[in-house]
Amino acid sequence: MDKFKLEILTPNGVIFNDDIISVTLPGEEGEFGVLAHHASLSTLLEAGVVDIEKEDKSIESVLINWGVVQVDEQKVIVLVEGAVAIRGDSESAIAKSLENAKKLISDIADSGPAIASVSAKIESAAKRLL
Amino acid sequence: MANLKDIQRQIKSVSNTQKTTRAMKLVSTAKLRRAEELAKRSRLYAAKMNQVIAEIAGRIKCNKVGGIDNRCFIKIENPKMVDIVFVTADKGLCGGFNIQTIKATKKLIAQYQEQKVKVRLRGIGKKGIEFFKYNEVELFDEVTNLSSKPDKIRSDDFIKASIEDYKDGKIDGIHIIYNGYKNMITQELHVNQVLPVDTDQFDCSQAKESILDIEAQDEEHMLDSLVSKYVEYNMYYALIDSVAAEHSARMQAMDTATNNAKEMVKGLKVKYNKARQAAITTELIEIISGVESMK
Repeated sequence: MDKFKLEILTPNGVIFNDDIISVTLPGEEGEFGVLAHHASLSTLLEAGVVDIEKEDKSIESVLINWGVVQVDEQKVIVLVEGAVAIRGDSESAIAKSLENAKKLISDIADSGPAIASVSAKIESAAKRLL
Repeated sequence: MANLKDIQRQIKSVSNTQKTTRAMKLVSTAKLRRAEELAKRSRLYAAKMNQVIAEIAGRIKCNKVGGIDNRCFIKIENPKMVDIVFVTADKGLCGGFNIQTIKATKKLIAQYQEQKVKVRLRGIGKKGIEFFKYNEVELFDEVTNLSSKPDKIRSDDFIKASIEDYKDGKIDGIHIIYNGYKNMITQELHVNQVLPVDTDQFDCSQAKESILDIEAQDEEHMLDSLVSKYVEYNMYYALIDSVAAEHSARMQAMDTATNNAKEMVKGLKVKYNKARQAAITTELIEIISGVESMK
Protein backbone atom coordinates (compact mmCIF):
# COMPACT_ATOMS: atom_id res chain seq x y z
CA MET A 1 0.00 0.00 0.00
CA ASP A 2 1.25 3.47 -0.78
CA LYS A 3 1.66 5.75 2.14
CA PHE A 4 1.53 9.49 2.58
CA LYS A 5 2.29 12.05 5.22
CA LEU A 6 -0.28 13.32 7.65
CA GLU A 7 0.23 16.31 9.90
CA ILE A 8 -2.26 17.32 12.55
CA LEU A 9 -1.45 20.64 14.20
CA THR A 10 -3.09 22.46 17.06
CA PRO A 11 -2.20 25.87 18.47
CA ASN A 12 -0.51 23.98 21.28
CA GLY A 13 1.74 21.95 19.07
CA VAL A 14 1.90 18.99 16.73
CA ILE A 15 -0.36 16.13 17.68
CA PHE A 16 0.41 13.79 14.81
CA ASN A 17 3.12 13.77 12.18
CA ASP A 18 3.85 10.48 10.46
CA ASP A 19 3.47 8.41 7.32
CA ILE A 20 0.11 6.69 7.15
CA ILE A 21 -1.96 4.51 4.85
CA SER A 22 -5.34 6.18 5.08
CA VAL A 23 -7.27 8.73 7.08
CA THR A 24 -10.97 9.35 7.59
CA LEU A 25 -11.97 12.93 8.27
CA PRO A 26 -15.23 14.46 9.53
CA GLY A 27 -15.90 16.99 6.78
CA GLU A 28 -18.68 19.54 7.06
CA GLU A 29 -20.48 17.83 4.22
CA GLY A 30 -19.95 14.40 5.67
CA GLU A 31 -17.22 11.96 6.45
CA PHE A 32 -14.65 11.26 3.78
CA GLY A 33 -11.60 9.10 3.48
CA VAL A 34 -8.25 9.97 1.97
CA LEU A 35 -5.70 7.57 0.50
CA ALA A 36 -2.34 8.32 -1.07
CA HIS A 37 -2.42 10.35 -4.32
CA HIS A 38 -5.76 11.88 -3.51
CA ALA A 39 -6.65 14.87 -5.66
CA SER A 40 -5.95 18.19 -3.99
CA LEU A 41 -8.77 19.60 -1.95
CA SER A 42 -9.42 22.02 0.86
CA THR A 43 -12.38 21.84 3.15
CA LEU A 44 -13.60 22.56 6.62
CA LEU A 45 -13.96 19.92 9.28
CA GLU A 46 -16.52 19.84 12.00
CA ALA A 47 -16.34 18.38 15.47
CA GLY A 48 -15.72 14.68 15.16
CA VAL A 49 -13.21 11.90 15.13
CA VAL A 50 -10.29 11.55 12.75
CA ASP A 51 -9.46 7.88 12.21
CA ILE A 52 -5.90 7.27 11.10
CA GLU A 53 -4.74 3.94 9.69
CA LYS A 54 -1.07 3.80 10.46
CA GLU A 55 1.65 1.91 8.65
CA ASP A 56 1.34 -1.05 10.97
CA LYS A 57 -2.38 -1.17 10.18
CA SER A 58 -3.33 -0.11 13.67
CA ILE A 59 -5.93 2.62 13.93
CA GLU A 60 -5.51 5.73 15.97
CA SER A 61 -8.37 8.10 16.72
CA VAL A 62 -8.05 11.81 17.29
CA LEU A 63 -10.95 13.90 18.46
CA ILE A 64 -11.16 17.41 17.03
CA ASN A 65 -13.53 20.33 17.58
CA TRP A 66 -13.01 22.40 14.44
CA GLY A 67 -10.55 22.22 11.65
CA VAL A 68 -9.48 22.81 8.13
CA VAL A 69 -7.82 20.24 5.96
CA GLN A 70 -5.62 20.67 2.98
CA VAL A 71 -5.09 17.59 0.89
CA ASP A 72 -2.63 17.42 -1.94
CA GLU A 73 -1.01 14.57 -3.78
CA GLN A 74 1.87 14.16 -1.35
CA LYS A 75 0.50 15.06 2.02
CA VAL A 76 -2.41 16.04 4.19
CA ILE A 77 -2.29 18.94 6.60
CA VAL A 78 -5.02 19.22 9.20
CA LEU A 79 -5.21 22.37 11.26
CA VAL A 80 -7.46 22.07 14.27
CA GLU A 81 -8.34 24.29 17.19
CA GLY A 82 -8.53 21.64 19.84
CA ALA A 83 -7.67 17.99 19.59
CA VAL A 84 -7.19 14.99 21.83
CA ALA A 85 -5.56 11.81 20.64
CA ILE A 86 -7.01 8.64 22.11
CA ARG A 87 -3.87 6.72 22.86
CA GLY A 88 -1.72 5.57 25.69
CA ASP A 89 0.59 2.77 26.78
CA SER A 90 -1.38 1.78 29.82
CA GLU A 91 -4.98 1.47 30.77
CA SER A 92 -4.82 4.55 32.97
CA ALA A 93 -3.24 6.65 30.20
CA ILE A 94 -6.00 5.63 27.80
CA ALA A 95 -8.64 6.39 30.39
CA LYS A 96 -7.07 9.79 30.92
CA SER A 97 -7.09 10.65 27.23
CA LEU A 98 -10.70 9.50 27.06
CA GLU A 99 -11.49 11.85 29.90
CA ASN A 100 -9.77 14.72 28.13
CA ALA A 101 -11.68 13.92 24.97
CA LYS A 102 -14.97 14.00 26.86
CA LYS A 103 -14.04 17.36 28.30
CA LEU A 104 -13.35 18.69 24.81
CA ILE A 105 -16.74 17.43 23.65
CA SER A 106 -18.53 19.11 26.52
CA ASP A 107 -16.78 22.38 25.59
CA ILE A 108 -18.29 22.27 22.13
CA ALA A 109 -21.31 24.48 22.43
CA ASP A 110 -23.96 22.76 20.33
CA SER A 111 -24.98 19.35 21.51
CA GLY A 112 -26.86 17.84 18.63
CA PRO A 113 -27.21 14.23 17.61
CA ALA A 114 -23.85 14.51 15.85
CA ILE A 115 -22.09 15.13 19.15
CA ALA A 116 -23.75 12.10 20.68
CA SER A 117 -22.38 9.91 17.91
CA VAL A 118 -18.96 11.46 18.42
CA SER A 119 -18.88 10.46 22.06
CA ALA A 120 -19.97 6.97 21.10
CA LYS A 121 -17.14 6.84 18.60
CA ILE A 122 -14.41 7.83 21.01
CA GLU A 123 -15.70 5.33 23.55
CA SER A 124 -15.43 2.56 21.03
CA ALA A 125 -11.99 3.78 20.00
CA ALA A 126 -10.87 3.61 23.60
CA LYS A 127 -12.37 0.13 24.02
CA ARG A 128 -10.48 -1.06 21.00
CA LEU A 129 -7.23 -0.06 22.69
CA LEU A 130 -8.00 -1.62 26.03
CA MET B 1 34.57 69.41 48.68
CA ALA B 2 31.88 66.82 48.09
CA ASN B 3 30.14 65.94 51.25
CA LEU B 4 31.01 62.46 52.43
CA LYS B 5 27.51 61.82 53.70
CA ASP B 6 25.98 62.91 50.40
CA ILE B 7 28.09 60.46 48.45
CA GLN B 8 27.27 57.70 50.87
CA ARG B 9 23.57 58.40 50.45
CA GLN B 10 23.96 58.32 46.68
CA ILE B 11 25.75 54.99 46.76
CA LYS B 12 23.00 53.53 48.88
CA SER B 13 20.27 54.77 46.58
CA VAL B 14 21.99 53.50 43.45
CA SER B 15 22.60 50.08 44.94
CA ASN B 16 18.95 49.93 45.98
CA THR B 17 17.94 50.64 42.40
CA GLN B 18 20.31 47.93 41.32
CA LYS B 19 18.57 45.47 43.61
CA THR B 20 15.22 46.36 42.07
CA THR B 21 16.40 46.08 38.50
CA ARG B 22 18.09 42.76 39.21
CA ALA B 23 14.88 41.42 40.71
CA MET B 24 12.91 42.65 37.70
CA LYS B 25 15.34 40.94 35.40
CA LEU B 26 14.90 37.66 37.24
CA VAL B 27 11.13 37.97 37.09
CA SER B 28 11.27 38.65 33.37
CA THR B 29 13.59 35.73 32.77
CA ALA B 30 11.16 33.40 34.48
CA LYS B 31 8.19 34.81 32.61
CA LEU B 32 10.08 34.77 29.34
CA ARG B 33 10.65 31.06 29.57
CA ARG B 34 6.95 30.37 29.76
CA ALA B 35 6.01 32.89 27.08
CA GLU B 36 8.73 31.64 24.78
CA GLU B 37 7.51 28.07 25.12
CA LEU B 38 3.97 29.12 24.22
CA ALA B 39 5.11 31.20 21.26
CA LYS B 40 7.30 28.40 19.95
CA ARG B 41 4.50 25.88 20.08
CA SER B 42 2.13 28.20 18.26
CA ARG B 43 4.61 29.30 15.66
CA LEU B 44 4.28 26.12 13.63
CA TYR B 45 0.51 26.32 13.62
CA ALA B 46 0.56 29.97 12.62
CA ALA B 47 3.01 29.24 9.82
CA LYS B 48 0.93 26.33 8.49
CA MET B 49 -2.25 28.35 8.74
CA ASN B 50 -0.67 31.14 6.71
CA GLN B 51 0.64 28.59 4.25
CA VAL B 52 -2.79 27.07 3.74
CA ILE B 53 -4.36 30.49 3.26
CA ALA B 54 -1.58 31.57 0.92
CA GLU B 55 -1.99 28.47 -1.18
CA ILE B 56 -5.72 28.97 -1.47
CA ALA B 57 -5.22 32.63 -2.31
CA GLY B 58 -2.64 31.74 -4.93
CA ARG B 59 -4.89 29.22 -6.57
CA ILE B 60 -7.81 31.58 -6.56
CA LYS B 61 -5.69 34.20 -8.22
CA CYS B 62 -4.08 31.96 -10.80
CA ASN B 63 -6.85 29.56 -11.68
CA LYS B 64 -9.65 32.05 -11.34
CA VAL B 65 -11.71 29.47 -9.59
CA GLY B 66 -14.19 29.66 -6.74
CA GLY B 67 -13.98 32.58 -4.39
CA ILE B 68 -12.75 35.04 -6.97
CA ASP B 69 -15.41 37.47 -5.80
CA ASN B 70 -14.41 37.14 -2.18
CA ARG B 71 -13.14 40.47 -0.94
CA CYS B 72 -10.56 38.83 1.27
CA PHE B 73 -8.54 37.56 -1.66
CA ILE B 74 -8.56 40.42 -4.12
CA LYS B 75 -6.30 43.40 -4.09
CA ILE B 76 -8.39 46.47 -3.43
CA GLU B 77 -7.34 49.17 -5.81
CA ASN B 78 -8.51 52.35 -4.15
CA PRO B 79 -8.81 51.76 -0.45
CA LYS B 80 -10.83 54.34 1.44
CA MET B 81 -10.38 53.24 4.98
CA VAL B 82 -8.07 50.76 6.69
CA ASP B 83 -7.76 49.37 10.19
CA ILE B 84 -4.41 49.43 11.90
CA VAL B 85 -4.10 47.29 14.99
CA PHE B 86 -1.01 47.78 17.11
CA VAL B 87 0.17 45.71 20.04
CA THR B 88 2.28 47.30 22.75
CA ALA B 89 2.99 46.32 26.33
CA ASP B 90 0.94 47.46 29.30
CA LYS B 91 4.09 48.35 31.17
CA GLY B 92 7.22 50.24 30.36
CA LEU B 93 10.80 49.64 31.48
CA CYS B 94 11.53 47.46 28.51
CA GLY B 95 13.87 49.59 26.46
CA GLY B 96 12.83 50.50 22.96
CA PHE B 97 10.22 47.76 22.77
CA ASN B 98 7.14 49.96 22.76
CA ILE B 99 8.59 52.90 20.92
CA GLN B 100 9.58 50.72 17.99
CA THR B 101 6.01 49.59 17.50
CA ILE B 102 4.72 53.12 17.93
CA LYS B 103 7.17 54.45 15.36
CA ALA B 104 6.18 51.80 12.82
CA THR B 105 2.52 52.58 13.46
CA LYS B 106 3.10 56.29 12.92
CA LYS B 107 4.97 55.58 9.72
CA LEU B 108 2.17 53.43 8.35
CA ILE B 109 -0.45 56.00 9.30
CA ALA B 110 1.55 58.72 7.54
CA GLN B 111 1.85 56.53 4.45
CA TYR B 112 -1.87 56.05 4.28
CA GLN B 113 -2.64 59.67 4.96
CA GLU B 114 -0.45 60.63 2.07
CA GLN B 115 -2.63 58.52 -0.18
CA LYS B 116 -5.69 60.14 1.38
CA VAL B 117 -6.79 56.93 2.98
CA LYS B 118 -8.59 57.15 6.27
CA VAL B 119 -7.08 55.17 9.10
CA ARG B 120 -8.91 53.62 12.00
CA LEU B 121 -6.44 53.01 14.78
CA ARG B 122 -7.16 50.17 17.17
CA GLY B 123 -4.80 49.86 20.09
CA ILE B 124 -3.85 47.03 22.36
CA GLY B 125 -1.70 47.77 25.39
CA LYS B 126 -1.57 50.75 27.73
CA LYS B 127 1.72 52.21 26.56
CA GLY B 128 0.79 52.70 22.93
CA ILE B 129 -2.68 53.93 23.79
CA GLU B 130 -1.25 56.50 26.20
CA PHE B 131 1.20 57.69 23.59
CA PHE B 132 -1.39 58.26 20.88
CA LYS B 133 -3.81 59.86 23.32
CA TYR B 134 -1.14 62.24 24.49
CA ASN B 135 -0.38 63.16 20.89
CA GLU B 136 -4.06 63.66 20.25
CA VAL B 137 -4.33 60.93 17.67
CA GLU B 138 -7.81 59.51 17.68
CA LEU B 139 -8.15 55.86 18.62
CA PHE B 140 -11.10 54.02 17.21
CA ASP B 141 -10.93 51.24 19.73
CA GLU B 142 -8.65 50.30 22.58
CA VAL B 143 -8.14 47.46 24.98
CA THR B 144 -5.76 47.03 27.90
CA ASN B 145 -4.62 44.07 29.97
CA LEU B 146 -4.76 41.92 26.88
CA SER B 147 -1.17 42.17 25.70
CA SER B 148 0.19 41.18 29.09
CA LYS B 149 -2.19 38.23 29.41
CA PRO B 150 -3.09 36.98 25.94
CA ASP B 151 -6.49 35.38 25.95
CA LYS B 152 -7.95 33.74 22.88
CA ILE B 153 -11.55 34.68 23.60
CA ARG B 154 -10.84 38.35 24.27
CA SER B 155 -8.52 38.62 21.31
CA ASP B 156 -11.15 37.04 19.05
CA ASP B 157 -13.77 39.46 20.31
CA PHE B 158 -11.50 42.39 19.65
CA ILE B 159 -10.55 41.53 16.09
CA LYS B 160 -13.99 40.22 15.09
CA ALA B 161 -15.30 43.77 14.67
CA SER B 162 -12.60 44.47 12.11
CA ILE B 163 -13.26 41.25 10.20
CA GLU B 164 -16.98 41.98 10.05
CA ASP B 165 -16.38 45.52 8.85
CA TYR B 166 -14.02 44.25 6.22
CA LYS B 167 -16.48 41.71 4.94
CA ASP B 168 -19.23 44.32 4.91
CA GLY B 169 -17.03 46.60 2.85
CA LYS B 170 -16.70 49.31 5.49
CA ILE B 171 -12.94 49.01 5.57
CA ASP B 172 -10.50 47.92 2.88
CA GLY B 173 -7.62 46.49 4.81
CA ILE B 174 -6.42 45.25 8.18
CA HIS B 175 -2.86 45.58 9.40
CA ILE B 176 -1.40 44.19 12.58
CA ILE B 177 1.76 45.78 13.95
CA TYR B 178 3.64 44.14 16.77
CA ASN B 179 7.09 43.50 18.04
CA GLY B 180 7.76 39.80 17.90
CA TYR B 181 10.23 37.51 19.55
CA LYS B 182 13.24 36.45 17.57
CA ASN B 183 15.64 35.21 20.19
CA MET B 184 16.72 36.04 23.72
CA ILE B 185 18.35 39.29 22.71
CA THR B 186 16.54 40.44 19.60
CA GLN B 187 13.01 41.42 18.83
CA GLU B 188 11.65 41.61 15.35
CA LEU B 189 9.11 44.16 14.28
CA HIS B 190 6.24 42.79 12.24
CA VAL B 191 3.95 44.90 10.11
CA ASN B 192 1.52 42.37 8.71
CA GLN B 193 -1.21 42.99 6.26
CA VAL B 194 -3.68 40.29 7.19
CA LEU B 195 -6.52 41.35 4.92
CA PRO B 196 -6.77 41.34 1.99
CA VAL B 197 -4.53 38.30 1.75
CA ASP B 198 -1.46 39.38 -0.16
CA THR B 199 -1.55 37.64 -3.52
CA ASP B 200 1.19 39.64 -5.22
CA GLN B 201 3.83 37.12 -4.28
CA PHE B 202 2.30 34.42 -6.46
CA ASP B 203 3.74 33.91 -9.84
CA CYS B 204 1.02 32.26 -11.82
CA SER B 205 3.37 30.92 -14.47
CA GLN B 206 4.91 28.67 -11.86
CA ALA B 207 1.69 27.65 -10.23
CA LYS B 208 0.97 24.01 -9.81
CA GLU B 209 -1.47 22.70 -12.33
CA SER B 210 -3.63 21.06 -9.73
CA ILE B 211 -7.06 22.50 -9.49
CA LEU B 212 -8.43 23.87 -6.30
CA ASP B 213 -11.29 21.80 -5.13
CA ILE B 214 -13.16 23.32 -2.36
CA GLU B 215 -15.27 20.53 -1.13
CA ALA B 216 -18.14 22.46 0.36
CA GLN B 217 -21.01 23.30 -1.93
CA ASP B 218 -21.05 26.80 -0.61
CA GLU B 219 -17.43 27.70 -0.90
CA GLU B 220 -18.20 31.26 0.17
CA HIS B 221 -19.07 29.90 3.57
CA MET B 222 -15.92 27.84 3.76
CA LEU B 223 -13.68 30.70 2.72
CA ASP B 224 -15.45 33.07 5.09
CA SER B 225 -15.03 30.94 8.14
CA LEU B 226 -11.49 30.02 7.18
CA VAL B 227 -10.53 33.67 6.76
CA SER B 228 -12.07 34.56 10.11
CA LYS B 229 -10.10 31.84 11.83
CA TYR B 230 -6.98 32.94 10.00
CA VAL B 231 -7.27 36.57 11.08
CA GLU B 232 -8.28 35.62 14.60
CA TYR B 233 -5.34 33.31 14.94
CA ASN B 234 -2.95 35.87 13.51
CA MET B 235 -4.16 38.34 16.10
CA TYR B 236 -3.74 35.86 18.92
CA TYR B 237 -0.34 34.82 17.69
CA ALA B 238 0.71 38.48 17.52
CA LEU B 239 -0.23 38.77 21.19
CA ILE B 240 1.70 35.75 22.39
CA ASP B 241 4.69 36.56 20.25
CA SER B 242 4.61 40.11 21.56
CA VAL B 243 4.48 38.97 25.18
CA ALA B 244 7.57 36.82 24.67
CA ALA B 245 9.33 39.73 23.00
CA GLU B 246 8.28 42.09 25.78
CA HIS B 247 9.81 39.89 28.43
CA SER B 248 13.01 39.43 26.47
CA ALA B 249 13.23 43.20 25.92
CA ARG B 250 12.61 43.86 29.59
CA MET B 251 15.11 41.27 30.65
CA GLN B 252 17.70 42.92 28.49
CA ALA B 253 16.82 46.44 29.58
CA MET B 254 16.98 45.43 33.22
CA ASP B 255 20.27 43.67 32.68
CA THR B 256 21.72 46.84 31.17
CA ALA B 257 20.27 48.87 34.02
CA THR B 258 21.84 46.55 36.59
CA ASN B 259 25.21 46.84 34.89
CA ASN B 260 24.90 50.58 34.69
CA ALA B 261 24.10 50.76 38.37
CA LYS B 262 27.12 48.60 39.12
CA GLU B 263 29.36 50.96 37.14
CA MET B 264 27.84 53.93 38.87
CA VAL B 265 28.43 52.49 42.33
CA LYS B 266 32.02 51.82 41.33
CA GLY B 267 32.51 55.43 40.25
CA LEU B 268 30.84 56.75 43.35
CA LYS B 269 33.01 54.57 45.57
CA VAL B 270 36.15 56.01 44.00
CA LYS B 271 34.77 59.48 44.53
CA TYR B 272 33.92 58.60 48.12
CA ASN B 273 37.39 57.27 48.86
CA LYS B 274 39.00 60.31 47.30
CA ALA B 275 36.87 62.60 49.42
CA ARG B 276 37.65 60.54 52.53
CA GLN B 277 41.38 60.70 51.88
CA ALA B 278 41.17 64.43 51.24
CA ALA B 279 39.40 64.83 54.55
CA ILE B 280 42.06 62.79 56.36
CA THR B 281 44.86 64.79 54.76
CA THR B 282 43.25 68.07 55.71
CA GLU B 283 42.77 66.85 59.23
CA LEU B 284 46.42 65.73 59.45
CA ILE B 285 47.63 69.06 58.13
CA GLU B 286 45.48 70.82 60.68
CA ILE B 287 46.89 68.71 63.53
CA ILE B 288 50.47 69.09 62.38
CA SER B 289 50.19 72.80 61.87
CA GLY B 290 48.49 73.06 65.27
CA VAL B 291 51.44 71.20 66.87
CA GLU B 292 53.92 73.37 64.96
CA SER B 293 52.34 76.55 66.22
CA MET B 294 52.50 75.30 69.84
CA LYS B 295 56.32 75.04 69.66
